[in-house]
Amino acid sequence: MKILVCVKQVPDSCETLHIHEPTGWIANLPSAVFRMNRFDEFAVEESLLIKERLPGTVAHALSVGPKRVNSTIRRALEMGADHGIHILYPDAGYISPYTVATLITTYARTKDYDLILAGIMAEDDMACQTGQLIAALMDLPYTTSVISSEIDDEAGEIVVGREIEGGRRLMVRFELPAVLTIQSGINTPRYPSLSNVMRARSQQHEVIRAEDLGIPQVRETCAGLRLPDSASMGTFIEGSPREKARKMIQVLHEKAFLP
Amino acid sequence: MGIKTFIIAEVEQGAISKETYELVSFAGTLSERRPVIIVLGRDIEAQAKEVAGKTGCDTIAVSGEHLELYNTQAYSEAIMDVIRPDSPCCVCIGHTSMGYDLAPFIAVKQNAACITAVESVHGGLFSRAICSGRFTEDIIPETESVVVTILPGAFPQCNSEPKGSGSLITVKATLPKRKSRTFAVTESLYRDHALKDAEVIVSAGRGVGKKENISLIKTLASVFPKSAVGASRSVCDLGWLEYNHQIGTTGQSVSPRLYIACGISGAIQHVSGMKDSQNIMAINTDPNAAIFRVAHWCIVEDLTTFIPIFIEELKKSIP
Repeated sequence: MKILVCVKQVPDSCETLHIHEPTGWIANLPSAVFRMNRFDEFAVEESLLIKERLPGTVAHALSVGPKRVNSTIRRALEMGADHGIHILYPDAGYISPYTVATLITTYARTKDYDLILAGIMAEDDMACQTGQLIAALMDLPYTTSVISSEIDDEAGEIVVGREIEGGRRLMVRFELPAVLTIQSGINTPRYPSLSNVMRARSQQHEVIRAEDLGIPQVRETCAGLRLPDSASMGTFIEGSPREKARKMIQVLHEKAFLP
Repeated sequence: MGIKTFIIAEVEQGAISKETYELVSFAGTLSERRPVIIVLGRDIEAQAKEVAGKTGCDTIAVSGEHLELYNTQAYSEAIMDVIRPDSPCCVCIGHTSMGYDLAPFIAVKQNAACITAVESVHGGLFSRAICSGRFTEDIIPETESVVVTILPGAFPQCNSEPKGSGSLITVKATLPKRKSRTFAVTESLYRDHALKDAEVIVSAGRGVGKKENISLIKTLASVFPKSAVGASRSVCDLGWLEYNHQIGTTGQSVSPRLYIACGISGAIQHVSGMKDSQNIMAINTDPNAAIFRVAHWCIVEDLTTFIPIFIEELKKSIP
């Protein structure tokens, strides 16, 4: 079995991000820390669990982005993926899910993957699109929000549980090849083993320039970021921590939440 | 006039969902032309009639045995059969587990821009929250056709009395050659009456920092009568609390008298499950955290230092 896992690099914390006014995009600070999108960690782990169940399985990890995303590809290799693929897209501004999905599709189309996995969404743009777009572009069956999976290798099928509102699950049977987007909580992503860390350190990634794959015409553009319309109706409690606590307790007494 | 708009209705426990009526309001902001509503299911005529009557929109009922449970392939092909002759168009779906699943597929088939989790629209810009609600992103479609998913609750339900019922067309969906099949739906493994019954819920987000700090949340909850401990999804994923504590889209929806959000950023997946709480108090280190936009009382503090002080003062104040 041959598995492709799509991983995205995201800022480590949204709290420290600022808008760079001239570009309208997130300011590119040298101190910024990036890491793998958490939902993608679950997708990588799922590929490794399949690898352990089905001997002979290989897992490839792919990321689209500027040079810095190679640390996220390396992280996937450290976790246990066999091969890293970097589609080098130099622009660190807005990349639409359609552009990313088209680049991945162009790369993957001739590679005979049995399964393509991605996180259900990215923590930064929260678009919930890339996996579905890849499936639609490749004409493969897919589902999103996968919270359980079981491969029937002999039948060439996979049975998945898809988490929907209120924690209910739809059970779906697929023919392979297929595309799945993985919901958090499906497994417990592992920490890299020392031997995999050593291996990943020296392993070269396959680097492909996005221009060589062909960057598609955009279908939407981003006019920029802004702070949300301030719709807060709330009161910011001021003072020292102890003063804030006292003020809040007074309110809770007035509202009869406390005896 | 304006572009032709389709709304993909959603059926919940046998009835048209409230999100469907929100989509009708949203479509009204895009175009003066009345949208066409598409309803899918096993035997869906009654629901289609209901929505045509309530909204005055022309409605297409697509029925088929294979549409009883939601399946990506079955639904997307049935939808494409209806809308394909009509391109270009705008397709609106709720940003629900069905909506975000379907929208990118329809967009690819229609050569359309796909914009998800839209909260508002003005002057051709579709606005959506990113980075757990810290920023708003304004997207401009560059294509004739557009597929959008609308965040539940972002628009009011349409409630104006229509002049008359919309027309009803019934279509029998053809059974596609299927590569996937939805064969069952199972109920949540995690239902907790403690959350439903609680008057006060104290909830933990990733901002609690580590598993050991959950005890702070539990101690705070124990101060209040009829209280329970809630959690964001990521706290459950980390194993800090069990999934029966999870509040949000894929967890439970709650509306207690008092909700205390501790270290919760305020991503919409969580907020949608608690925003109807009568009183909301939020503690977060980040003054720009999205949770402060739904909170009534906002406290910018590190909860690991603030909660012990709060409990200390609380004990002093209770005779």
